Amino acid sequence: MSDDAADVQRVLAGDVDAYAALVDRYYDRCARFAVRMLGNRDDAEDALQATFLRAYRALNRYQERDRFSAWLYRILVNQCRSVAARRAHRERVFVREEAVLLNTPDRTPVWSGEDEEFVQRVLTELDPLLREAFLLKYIEELSYEEMSALTGVGVSALKMRVKRACDRLRERWERIKHD
Amino acid sequence: MTDSDQLHPYVEWIIREARRPVISEPEARDRVMAAIHAEPVPRRQGVWQRILAPRVFSLSPVTGTLLAAGLVGIGVLAGVFTSNGGGRSAVEQPPVAVVPRQRPASDTVVKFVISLPRAQQVSLVGDFNDWDVAKTPMIRSAHGGLWTVTVPLSAGRHVYAFVVDGSSWVADPSAPFAPDDGFGHANSVKIVGRGSSL
Amino acid sequence: MRSRRLPMTPLVVRRAAAMTLRAAVLALCAATTLRAQDTEPDRLAKLDPNCRLTIQILIDSAEAAGLPARALRSIALEGVSKKADCKAIISADRQELALLRIARSTLGGVDAEELTAAAAVLRAGAKPPQLEKFRVRQKGRSDLQAFTIWADLIWRGVPSEDASSAITKLWEDGADDATFVSLWNNVQSDILRGLNPGTALQNRIRETPGRPPASKGPPEGQQENERSE
Repeated sequence: MSDDAADVQRVLAGDVDAYAALVDRYYDRCARFAVRMLGNRDDAEDALQATFLRAYRALNRYQERDRFSAWLYRILVNQCRSVAARRAHRERVFVREEAVLLNTPDRTPVWSGEDEEFVQRVLTELDPLLREAFLLKYIEELSYEEMSALTGVGVSALKMRVKRACDRLRERWERIKHD
Repeated sequence: MTDSDQLHPYVEWIIREARRPVISEPEARDRVMAAIHAEPVPRRQGVWQRILAPRVFSLSPVTGTLLAAGLVGIGVLAGVFTSNGGGRSAVEQPPVAVVPRQRPASDTVVKFVISLPRAQQVSLVGDFNDWDVAKTPMIRSAHGGLWTVTVPLSAGRHVYAFVVDGSSWVADPSAPFAPDDGFGHANSVKIVGRGSSL
Repeated sequence: MRSRRLPMTPLVVRRAAAMTLRAAVLALCAATTLRAQDTEPDRLAKLDPNCRLTIQILIDSAEAAGLPARALRSIALEGVSKKADCKAIISADRQELALLRIARSTLGGVDAEELTAAAAVLRAGAKPPQLEKFRVRQKGRSDLQAFTIWADLIWRGVPSEDASSAITKLWEDGADDATFVSLWNNVQSDILRGLNPGTALQNRIRETPGRPPASKGPPEGQQENERSE
């Protein structure tokens, strides 16, 4: 029996704290998907909270032959869609840049922070369905069959979405190169 | 990469960056567990519940495709008999061609003048000519050391300077300063409006 | 409560590996995507590939955020022409991006020119709250001239607070472009004659009437000094 299945059994037997092991095991990985999908941490946390709560409530329906991660991800993908549908557009104030301006010792460039923000923005520009497919394929590294089971979308449609996402990103590079 | 598709290097870079872990605060996980503790404990399903629970049937790819093809076939026939062609399926948009910007007819011709009697060579540089020293050489007047040039400028704010003898950057003494961009030297500003210009 | 804790993975990638990858990305992109769309060569291509990529990313960040990316490109080209080193160019673009963001969060949805002009005011030394009075949009009025004069005054040495209150007051009183230009001309010549910048401004402000834009403005024959002529 896998660790996941064992932990599920423990929870169903009444050991609620055993769920914390599952949360620990999957939270950061789910957080990565949620942040990349939703574009900001607040929304991602909402989606994550809802995901783990729903998973907990549905734990008695989890079947051992399913991979726990796939099962959890189905819930996660749906929760991300719900959060995206619900949220209003919010204007984000970039506090980091204000600090740069107001304090201004000449900082050496911190590559990684800039990169992450940039990549997040690029991803957020993709149409949500394309983004979802792209993330599941290349960031979560799922097979098309797994993605299909997770999203309920057919394999060829998913392949098309992934391809379109890549095309969009390539077009973006062409655009910025030629300003 | 799991796929054999050749990915564009830029896309590969995006993927690599996006794969970086996202570290969450421990407090976030604490909040999850706090919410969990407020929930009723899920109980194992009894035998009957398991039998009666809705099942997900997974089809093999071949079976699935045949079934889908059959359904599509029915759908197509239905379409032939009912509509006049239906909607176009979503086609991928062709990439937008990059068109070099043309000068709009609404540009204002602006004259730049500076007095530099000892200069051998003066160029105008600014945001309108990519700060290229070679693009807009100025012409020296016959006497008096005045250098002039006229350029068409779009309405709005323009930042510029003069480059003297290929290397000295000089602001326009008759124009407001544009604060130093970070290269140790302030430039000048010209506002081009509909009628007047400074 | 928790039985196990996962190890924390570091967020920062080793610089050397990351920079090599970026250089490779740029080189490959240049090789595979070179197009002869523009007849002029890209002057930014003169820069070191890593530098170029960083700048391109900053420009793209601006574009993605709906900010005037052209301003960053212009600054980068200015740096190239001035033969500034890479670090200086990147730093300049980074700062411009930061200023544009702050300008927008203070002023709201204004056009690219106004944002760039407002960024210059901040660059000169004004504080974001001082820009807030300009948030209210007035039909038919452009604040480009006001912002330009404002940035210049601070740059010349007028204390930021004084410049800010003077410009804001004029603006609120309905001063037109000609009034701002005239003020600037007078203050500038006073400073050149040796007067302390703050004092020069105070003197000239006192004698500058702020008037609401009742009519078309100053009559045809009476123009601002055409200093460029």
